[in-house]
Amino acid sequence: MNKFLLLAATLVVAIQTSPALADASGGEAAFGTNGCGDCHYTQGPAREKTIEDQLAKKGPELWYAGSKFNRPWLEAWLSTPKPIRLMKYNSLEEKNPGDHPALSAGDATQVADFLMSLTSDVVVAGKIKAKAHPKGKLIFKKKMPCSGCHQYEDRKNVRGGASGPSLVGAGKRLNPDWILAYLTEPTVFKPVKMMPVFKGILSPKDMEFVSSYVASFKGE
Amino acid sequence: MKKSTLLIASLFIVFMTEAACASEPEAVFKFYCAQCHGLGGEGDGPNVTADFATDPRNFTKTAEMEKLSDADIKNVILDGGPALSKSALMPPWSKTLTGQEVDGLVQVLRGFCKCKGAP
Ligand code: HEC
Ligand code: HEC
Repeated sequence: MNKFLLLAATLVVAIQTSPALADASGGEAAFGTNGCGDCHYTQGPAREKTIEDQLAKKGPELWYAGSKFNRPWLEAWLSTPKPIRLMKYNSLEEKNPGDHPALSAGDATQVADFLMSLTSDVVVAGKIKAKAHPKGKLIFKKKMPCSGCHQYEDRKNVRGGASGPSLVGAGKRLNPDWILAYLTEPTVFKPVKMMPVFKGILSPKDMEFVSSYVASFKGE
Repeated sequence: MKKSTLLIASLFIVFMTEAACASEPEAVFKFYCAQCHGLGGEGDGPNVTADFATDPRNFTKTAEMEKLSDADIKNVILDGGPALSKSALMPPWSKTLTGQEVDGLVQVLRGFCKCKGAP
């Protein structure tokens, strides 16, 4: 009798877990049927070699999405996307129309499973903790031109430029360790981009400070 | 006969790829500089909002651009505003652009100001 209960319990657990295991492939299928692949590529390494290659893209690359994004943000954003970049992708003249396709809640969960399975081993886990580090703030606002192109949070105010992705709420959106990896190995992720390469300009320590600072933006 | 066709074809491919790798100086300007300096070089790119502490240089102002030598322009592009005691909002591009691209940019700016620099 007891053995029988155990067996039944195991079966219930097995049935409950198996859909989760199958999700990455279910999510990959949903990514395809929703036309996401028309604008995003999901297989690394980076393909862009020239400015023209970058300008030909219709959306950001997602092949390291699992290292870049925080899962709760990603899942919520996929069903209720809000503009991240102020300008239309690859445009200096048109504003972001805010017309990104939205997924149903069910598809969003599955596609998030798939995207979170796409990782880059260049990102080292556990190095950066969110912190409004005064040194990071000084670099971001005064010593380096970061604020010229990125919106950011300055106490209760939103300030900064418009050509780069907004960093308001970056702590919710981005994995802090990815921010550091992107600064230290920018060409792995974006070989051709409008943002200057700071590797060799900022010291490794300064990159950690500024990554912690960016990760401290909480959004509204 | 067939061999030479093949040779010409491969040469053609080589040239096509070379051309694809080096972007035109104008394309380099539009991609990296226009976000602040504007597509027409007038210092009015989309980043220049009320918040923007220092206006980016308007490259069409001949009188001011004449004061900068080609070497000054190169230095400020490579090392950023602070290299010429200017605002840090002008980024350093030394790790981003090749020497050839920077030389090309100097010519693009000279085209905007229609001027030569101080020697
Ligand atoms: C017509 C082209 C297009 C299609 C189709 C499209 N996207 Fe996007 N996607 C974009 C653009 C452009 C952005 C940048 C939006 C922004 O910055 O606000 C983006 C941003 C994203 C981001 C955030 C990436 C980042 O680095 O900021 C994710 C995640 C994403 N898309 C997933 C998807 C998924 C999943 C689908 C399928 C339902 C999809 N996209 C369909 C163009 C597209
Ligand atoms: C994030 C915005 C930004 C970007 C991107 C940018 N600049 Fe600047 N630039 C500025 C600002 C601001 C100034 C004015 C600095 C000052 O007057 O203190 C400036 C000034 C200059 C000057 C004049 C320096 C002087 O002595 O007056 C030159 C030359 C220049 N930029 C070239 C470029 C080139 C070439 C590019 C592209 C590779 C570029 N800039 C990209 C913001 C930017």
